[in-house]
Amino acid sequence: MALRVLIVDDALFMRNMLKDICVRAGFEVVAEGDNGEAALELFREHRPDLVTMDIVMPKRSGIEALQDIMVEDPQAKVVMVSALGQDSLVLEAVEAGARDFIVKPFKEEKVIDVIRRVASRA
Amino acid sequence: MDMSRYRELFLSETREHLNQMGRLLVALEQEPSARETIDALFREAHSVKGMAASMGYERTAALAHHLEDMLDGFRRGGGMPDGTIDQLLAGLDLLEGLLEDLQADRQERDIAAFLAAPAEAVTPIAVATGNPDEGDLELLEVIEIEDAGQRETVSEAPALTAVTLPPPPVSTVFQVTVILAEDATAPAARGLLILRELERAGEIINATPTKETLRQGGGCPRVQAWLRTAVPKPRLEESLRAIADVDKVLFVDDRRTDGSRRGGEAGRSVRVRTDLLDLVVNLTGELLTRRFMLQRAATERDWAELDAALEQTTRLIDELHHQALQARLVPLENVAGRLPRMVRDLARKTGKQVEFRMTGGGVGLDRLILEELSDPLVHLLRNAVDHGIEAGKPGEVSVAARREKDQVLIEISDNGRGMDPQELRQKAVARGILAPEQAALLSDREALMLVCVPGFSTAREVTDTSGRGVGMDVVKSAVEKLGGTLDIQSVVGSGTCFQLRLPLSMAIIRILLVSCGGHPLAIPLTRVQRTLELPSGEVRSVGHRHFFQLDEEEVELVALDSLLGLVGGAAADTLCVVLIELPGRLVGLQVDSLLGQRDAFVKNLGFPLDRLPGMSGATVQGNGSVLFIIDPHPLLEGQSAVSLSRSKETFDALS
Repeated sequence: MALRVLIVDDALFMRNMLKDICVRAGFEVVAEGDNGEAALELFREHRPDLVTMDIVMPKRSGIEALQDIMVEDPQAKVVMVSALGQDSLVLEAVEAGARDFIVKPFKEEKVIDVIRRVASRA
Repeated sequence: MDMSRYRELFLSETREHLNQMGRLLVALEQEPSARETIDALFREAHSVKGMAASMGYERTAALAHHLEDMLDGFRRGGGMPDGTIDQLLAGLDLLEGLLEDLQADRQERDIAAFLAAPAEAVTPIAVATGNPDEGDLELLEVIEIEDAGQRETVSEAPALTAVTLPPPPVSTVFQVTVILAEDATAPAARGLLILRELERAGEIINATPTKETLRQGGGCPRVQAWLRTAVPKPRLEESLRAIADVDKVLFVDDRRTDGSRRGGEAGRSVRVRTDLLDLVVNLTGELLTRRFMLQRAATERDWAELDAALEQTTRLIDELHHQALQARLVPLENVAGRLPRMVRDLARKTGKQVEFRMTGGGVGLDRLILEELSDPLVHLLRNAVDHGIEAGKPGEVSVAARREKDQVLIEISDNGRGMDPQELRQKAVARGILAPEQAALLSDREALMLVCVPGFSTAREVTDTSGRGVGMDVVKSAVEKLGGTLDIQSVVGSGTCFQLRLPLSMAIIRILLVSCGGHPLAIPLTRVQRTLELPSGEVRSVGHRHFFQLDEEEVELVALDSLLGLVGGAAADTLCVVLIELPGRLVGLQVDSLLGQRDAFVKNLGFPLDRLPGMSGATVQGNGSVLFIIDPHPLLEGQSAVSLSRSKETFDALS
């Protein structure tokens, strides 16, 4: 069964790009969210295998959304998507339970690699 | 993971560990209750086990594990039962054998017999534990003891040890190093992910960088941690490799910095400090720049520029050469590390009481010299224990090394019975090596050197370790082959000291160029005390021998051309003399002219040229011609009574 992915990012451009990458890799994109508040709702609704989460977003930030999801499901697999130079935010996210992270600008194979690794781990 | 590239490192590090174990076992025998020595031994065995297991060398790992178990038992039992040291030493010998097998790419030898031998039964006692402290290995091992105390069987014990050994402890403690990919982003966050994975596997005893450092954003290309875990290494490696940007996972022990195990090994690989390598790389870069300068100057016929560039190039090459030689220096203790064990075994065999001391183990010598030095050192120590040290008296044997300018002085001393020059003279006569009148001519120092004459032995009884008269001549020629000298000092009743003077490095030496019988020849500058010009009127002749006065001393003058069998040059008013210092005396070597000094890259002579006495090598000159390097010592010793066993006729002709 294809890996079910939820993509959360406020930029349509990034969502489309990530979605294309996921589809090409054979993953199923179950939903897309454009802010931190929507993230938790979509997570509850779809129970995806994995979430890609932008960090800087309106309403609730990616880290807040991550925390919400971790409360909802401590086993949730969330991969943060950050921009270069946001190391401290990434750190914070890892501390909060993010399974891994991708730094923009990213390469397609890197994204797939990270998602596959996280998906394969317990 | 391809482990083959770690093989050299494994071999050299393991050898260091085994050397250290040998030292520790000898120390332990002297003080069997020394808890810290047992702890240290345990750590050494533990390190070897970890490394061997990582490399997949099953028998080596199993044996190290067995020794570790034995040591652990004694530690918990609170002491060493009789005969244990021998058992441990036998185990160490077996480990060394295994290492030889691995070095030679052979299958590891069988260890079943050793493992089957009954281990000393000991009752475990309670061990107090402390809080694990960062970097405190002592405590770290204590934790492990506690584990071993509560050991239980688990199904996922490492397959490697399960075959031949009792069930391994539930948890083991080892160091894991995770190296990040070069292009890893947000390394601090990556480090935290790795630490989190390690925490999932077990208990992190300490980590570099620490979590706190990482939280403050301090990134690091690698994460290193001591981990207590029941997860087998392959499984841990798998889960670490599942993290993105992880390049390598190593379970190899880090080298400790306790100072007792500095430096590399005397074998095939030499450890080089990275700053030294950087320097060499920088120098090479500068040389490249100079090459372009030279090229341009040559194209433009700019002689001033050419001169400047040449001068700079020369300076850079000198520096590069110096640094390259530095890289070849290896501490003496790499060969001397085995000596305490050897002395201990010998003392035991001969039933003598011997204390061994070593100073200056950190003195660096060229790798090549160090390799050649091993056998002579062993021989001298055997002699010291066998013949120097007297039975029934507390004996002391020491090896002391120190740097003296561009030479290294190694002294092997004992406090034994000493050698009597008069006795040696008589013996030489009795053996038919010297005529009585020849023997009488020998100075005390020369008489002592008689022990280096083949077939001459001072041993009253022949032992199985030394004393057949082979040995000292071999020692002497080995030292001289390295461009060094051997000197003996001895006081009857107080002891004997053998002094080895060795050059720091041998590939490139400074030479004195002379002309002799119309041929250019080179003499190593380390052999030359000074040069002088001597008015021929100052030479005094006694029979066929010639002497001149230098300060307060009467010095014999020998013509190099006649020594070498060359046609002599024409007589001159002023003689060119190269002053050579032999042990205990000076000799003036007369040459046609002095041509100057320079550095020469020495090449060894092949057969049959290497059989010519006094020819120590050759170097190629700037014009492409070959220049022979002569070693005056063996030539001039033919002039003294000492080597007369070899050239009795020469002596007869001279006296």
